Amino acid sequence: MSHSQPIAGDFLSLLAEHRLAPVTPAASAAAPVQTQATTVFGFHYAEGVLMAGDRRATAGNIIVTDRVEKIIEIDATSVLAIAGVPATAFEMARVLQTSFEYYRRSQLQPLSLPARVRALARLLRENLPMTMQGIGIVVPLFAGVDQTVTPPEPHIYFYDPLGAQFQAVGYAASGSGSGTIRSILSFQENFGEPKPSQMNLREAVRFASRLLSTASEFDSATGGINPATETYATIKTLKASGLETITDAQQKEFLR
Amino acid sequence: MTEEPYRWLEAVANRREYVREQLKGGTPVLAASLADGILLLGVGGGQSKVFELFDRLALAGLGHPADIEKIRQAAIDAAHVEAFTRAPEDVSLRRLVGFGLGPQLKTNFEQIYSAPLLVESLLAELGTEPTRDLFFRLHFDGSYQTQFGGVVVVASDADAEAAAKKWLGEMIPTKPGRAEAANLLLQAWWILSENKPFAEGLPDEAARQAGWRAGLKGRDIEIGWLAREGLRPARYQALTASELGL
Repeated sequence: MSHSQPIAGDFLSLLAEHRLAPVTPAASAAAPVQTQATTVFGFHYAEGVLMAGDRRATAGNIIVTDRVEKIIEIDATSVLAIAGVPATAFEMARVLQTSFEYYRRSQLQPLSLPARVRALARLLRENLPMTMQGIGIVVPLFAGVDQTVTPPEPHIYFYDPLGAQFQAVGYAASGSGSGTIRSILSFQENFGEPKPSQMNLREAVRFASRLLSTASEFDSATGGINPATETYATIKTLKASGLETITDAQQKEFLR
Repeated sequence: MTEEPYRWLEAVANRREYVREQLKGGTPVLAASLADGILLLGVGGGQSKVFELFDRLALAGLGHPADIEKIRQAAIDAAHVEAFTRAPEDVSLRRLVGFGLGPQLKTNFEQIYSAPLLVESLLAELGTEPTRDLFFRLHFDGSYQTQFGGVVVVASDADAEAAAKKWLGEMIPTKPGRAEAANLLLQAWWILSENKPFAEGLPDEAARQAGWRAGLKGRDIEIGWLAREGLRPARYQALTASELGL
């Protein structure tokens, strides 16, 4: 097949036809101080997958905002958790959102989970020049529902900055606070009671909030949970039935 | 030959006649604005008449499947490029049809050495309330009519289409539920398909109910629903007849 031949249902091909390719390598002599978004994680709980992130973005030692959304709905059955440079990550999310919906509408069927996972890997690979220059690095997590099994199963994937993808067995975390979070998740899964995979929604949301609070104790780039200022995590759950957002009001209720 | 003006006019007139003749066998599609959303309905072979275009936009068409597909694909391409380069909120039916599909269809129709597109269609844009639901009735030559709310019918015969629209406009407000409205659209579909009258000589309800069921002849009822309320941007759902209790 010719390289100039557009691929049916491929939104990036359509953008290229219009000379609107969203990710283009750019040379830069010096990296500016970048806004960074951390920390995100996901784990399997009894009803599906829970993805959570703090809401802090930093640039060097400056807190840019405590209201950023790092858990991004891509479509009804997939969710992206971003850690790294928001400028690049938000653009990747927008490309994925439009690509998945474009494929579903134009081809009259949803994109398979492996294709979704690879679509993100492709964006990371195309972002390699930015990554190598030290700007624009993104290390995301992705969760999607595998519709080929009955009942459909949600899965978590994590990536390296070059685009390699790995399926997480129980949990995955990314960002500057991820070390703390992975340690606690590992401990809880091996020695804790209940294990994350046995938790109901209330327990899982409480656990996720506490994970972020603990990470924020050791990492200044991770924002914690502060009910006094109505600062809660961004939490979404992915089940066989699809994606749901756990609102601030629900978190407040669960944390009582 | 066609360099002479009157020859060109004759060629266009012949083309119009040819397209209308080709469209005569097309099975009608219908849409109605209801309190909770917009209902679109056709009878076809699975996914051949009623389609999602974008978050709040849908299309229903009759004609040659390949030509419906061209219109559908052009609309989906334009909507997604617009949504990506600007924002999903900037995707509007008025711009999509007025600056995209309408001119494209007109150009195709007037290029008399190329095959004409054999398609008649309706496009729907979900509003915040029924009176803000926008419909475009788009013709094969690129001309179109717009309306807010109400009912839109696409049939191969203009008089029958107008009669069906008038009848449904009177009937649907009396039965505003989604399933009841779908049933009425199916009754109108059957009357149109059978070339029966909507005024004097209109079959009674029992005949209409039995008629549309018999008229399906193994084909699928294709139902699209643009839901006014929802947590996600994409409001289109493809419904089955059994989901509506039909």
